[in-house]
Amino acid sequence: MKINRHSETGSVILCAIAIIVIISLVAAGVLMNTTARYNATSKQVKAWKEALYAAEAGGDFGYVECRKASSAPGTQFTGGTWAVVSGAATPTWTLTTPATFGTNNSLSASVIVDQVFTDTNSNPFYRIRSVGNATVYGLKRVGMDDRMNATTRGDSLLRKIDFNYDHFIAAYGDGDGNNKQLLTVTTPKISRRIELIAAPVEPFEGFLKCLASFSGPGSAGVCDSYDSHNGAYYFCANNPADPHYLDSRNGSVSVNTPTFSQGGTIYGDVSTNGGNVTHSNSSITGTIDNNVSFTAPPVVQPVPPASNPYKPGSPATINPSSTATNSGTPDWYLYSVLDGVTINARTDASGNPIETYVTVVVTGNVGKITINKGVNARIYFAGSLSAKARDIVNNNVDGATGVKNADGTPSTNVSRAGHFQFMGITPTDGSTQVIDIAPPGNVWATFYAPSATFQLHGNPDIYGAITCNNFTGNGNTGFHFDKALRGTAGPPIDYRIASYVEDVR
Amino acid sequence: MKLRQNHNTAGFSMGEMVVVVGITSALFAAAFASSISLQQSLAGVDDFFSTHLQQIRIIDYLSRDVKRSYSVTTSVDKLTVTCTIPNYVIQAGDSDAGVGNANVGKRRTPTITPTANGAVIDYGTGTSSVIYALNNQTITRTENGVLTTIAASTDSLVPETIDTELANTEYTSSTVTFMPKFHGHGNGNGQGQTDPSRTGTTVFAKAYLRNKRRG
Repeated sequence: MKINRHSETGSVILCAIAIIVIISLVAAGVLMNTTARYNATSKQVKAWKEALYAAEAGGDFGYVECRKASSAPGTQFTGGTWAVVSGAATPTWTLTTPATFGTNNSLSASVIVDQVFTDTNSNPFYRIRSVGNATVYGLKRVGMDDRMNATTRGDSLLRKIDFNYDHFIAAYGDGDGNNKQLLTVTTPKISRRIELIAAPVEPFEGFLKCLASFSGPGSAGVCDSYDSHNGAYYFCANNPADPHYLDSRNGSVSVNTPTFSQGGTIYGDVSTNGGNVTHSNSSITGTIDNNVSFTAPPVVQPVPPASNPYKPGSPATINPSSTATNSGTPDWYLYSVLDGVTINARTDASGNPIETYVTVVVTGNVGKITINKGVNARIYFAGSLSAKARDIVNNNVDGATGVKNADGTPSTNVSRAGHFQFMGITPTDGSTQVIDIAPPGNVWATFYAPSATFQLHGNPDIYGAITCNNFTGNGNTGFHFDKALRGTAGPPIDYRIASYVEDVR
Repeated sequence: MKLRQNHNTAGFSMGEMVVVVGITSALFAAAFASSISLQQSLAGVDDFFSTHLQQIRIIDYLSRDVKRSYSVTTSVDKLTVTCTIPNYVIQAGDSDAGVGNANVGKRRTPTITPTANGAVIDYGTGTSSVIYALNNQTITRTENGVLTTIAASTDSLVPETIDTELANTEYTSSTVTFMPKFHGHGNGNGQGQTDPSRTGTTVFAKAYLRNKRRG
């Protein structure tokens, strides 16, 4: 009998293995691709962006301290781990312990701040250098996404990841080539470096700053500017051929709310905080930005230095002392009310007025006041100011013609408005301060009263600059910002970041 | 002798063979087609993400340079962006490079000049120019004449940037799109700028010039 043997061996298992191998290879290929992509998109890109966030956060750490130069000078660089860098050519501070933040403290920033410049008013400019570090998570062996083609390197030119060594310190040291070293990094990281310059914000940088609302000028009024270095004001904002045309178009208005109402032309820029001002619904020659916020610090009642106390008496005429010809040692006077007072300047042997500095503190209201040629009067007042424009008399002239300095040289203090400065002391009880100016006449002065409602009736012109809370002046007036006020109108009220660079090496 | 008939020589009929071969061919054809489709799909997905990464790279390059610029201008067709950037690091040939280029590679200390229009911060007498442009299938970045290809794809990568300058600020709005290998016909031939397949790939970014801050 023949037995048929049916072979039970076959290729099924081989086929199955082959299919599994093929699928595994495909899966491995996909995984390799996705891992590289995932690493690049989710880890490296994230870390690269976060390194900049860290650097800018470090910049903010430094900027906060810079701002204290105007708001709290005695407390600058004293908190946290700020320390003075000894032996530096200029005052320099550093965060001795880098600030850490982010998820699992994956971010850190180290900051160094130095005083890079001081202007003629002794206001410092600060340079803030910040290094932001971000940990790069993920598998570093998959490397970077550099697969565009054989000659194009893709990501590695942009996102410089320190996988094993800090490439910047190895190649550039501290950034200036000092202390180069091969520094091992414990975990892969990305570092980004920025440099900021913090510059002082001056009290007056345009004609008007309103914290709450603005209404003005009237339909026949204008808001423009001039530079008293060139002499007295004249209107040229609509004449491009005029040599002072460019100086005439900085009559800028800033409002820290959306409340902005305009009649006549504003030859300058306008900014609001949330407003809806457009060129089509206004007469504004400059640019418009409806997304700008700002601050104007309050004014506190000043106290004279112990070495220079208040002068006695409350006469109708103030004749300053000889030391008042030095801006550092002005005469101080204290009044409960200031009304009908004339302030005279010191004179030289030939009768020429000398620049004379007077600070008056008024605990009540202010009315009529006259300053004669050469007088620089700073009037702090806690009450209100109410007067006709003709009774706020400023006998200085633009260009300071005929006025001398104490050393006999011709004065360069050219701004007529800059000689007459009103400072509205912020009420501590929440009450509203009022500055009320009525016709006839014109006013050459500056007003810094961030809590005041400024009411301008009729058609007086104001030459100078104003910072207030609310402004109403919708008569046919002229508002003329004197650009010479910049740099001369008192200490900075804040600091701003004026420059930003990134070291992309 | 009676021969034994061998009944084991039985085979398949022609009909059976035709059916089997037909089914097998269909299965192989399906498997082959599936394999091709799978490969194409994988290549398409891989290409999509590869190009997407390049979109991110273009945006990151642009944002970095815009942020540190003094000014930015864009062409009317939105395809060319020119950034003017401070010269932060001293280079060979600069007037302050020093004897024997001793200062090359050092960070420059700015000159600060208070003016009637605000303080001017100046990092040297010149500036660097960085130009982004679309050149056929590549996006190039040219810094002071040195050209770098920052992205290259056959997927018609198109970066578009507009520049907005306001009173106290300036920013750019950039979009980068591409036409994925697999795409629908959209509203035409599939290549239009408004094709849904292209607009669906849009990556958008807004970058402010830090040197023109508000307030």
